[in-house]
Amino acid sequence: MVKVVDARGLPCPQPVINTRKALAEADQVTTIVDNETAQQNVTRMAEKAGCTVRVEQRDDGIYLHISKGEAPGNQVFAEKPGFSTAPAGGPLVLVVPSEFMGQGEHAELGEILIRGFFHTLGEVEPVPDTIIFFNSGVKLVVEGSPVVEDLQALHERGVEILACGTCLGYYGLKDKVAVGEVSNMYTIAEAMLGAGKVVNL
Amino acid sequence: MSDYGVVLVPSTSHAIRAERVCHLAGLKVKLIPTPRHLSSNCGTALRFDWAEREAVEEALRANNVDYDGFHRMDW
Repeated sequence: MVKVVDARGLPCPQPVINTRKALAEADQVTTIVDNETAQQNVTRMAEKAGCTVRVEQRDDGIYLHISKGEAPGNQVFAEKPGFSTAPAGGPLVLVVPSEFMGQGEHAELGEILIRGFFHTLGEVEPVPDTIIFFNSGVKLVVEGSPVVEDLQALHERGVEILACGTCLGYYGLKDKVAVGEVSNMYTIAEAMLGAGKVVNL
Repeated sequence: MSDYGVVLVPSTSHAIRAERVCHLAGLKVKLIPTPRHLSSNCGTALRFDWAEREAVEEALRANNVDYDGFHRMDW
């Protein structure tokens, strides 16, 4: 039986929450959303959980037809939240909470350091699996950021780049994202808690 | 593979000024951490396209920005 979740008009992260709930009860869920960010967030959550997602564009919304696969990711929908079994050698996650590196009385220095850091990241090992930007850190992933080229190079090498959607919205930068994906607190929290190691810049 | 050079400078504030005058001169430069194999008093250096070496030097001279030397990057 297909369970339908009408998530049109709902604020983030409600579409993800409602879809997740529905998937706990049904093997097939169709979630209807009305914007691309919600589409991406729901799709990402579903695929991460081992589901397949088929997208259908209709006049009245984006229909996401979600089917549970055979993948073990289905444990996500068990009573207890998933992602608690990440191996110690799990992903390396880099967290960037500010547009500056470190704190000091001169922002100029912090900017030079963070530019240097992302340049260097392209030349050293290990490369993080995921880089998460939040708070004023999101200013680094948008057009005109001094590190956007370095980030694009990392992205091309397979580094996942997540930027906090709430933060981009707060700064009015949501339509200026130049690299990576707009993300939400669920994905960010899961990435951090499921990491083998979190490096906080 | 791009052909880059770096300018070593005496201090971070020199690096900031060097970047500013080069940008004003329309040169594509980038502040980077001083490469490990180049010894410098300052941890920050200015990277430029080697083809624009003379223009960079000219921009620094014209604006009285001191520098310690030019190096061609060998990678």
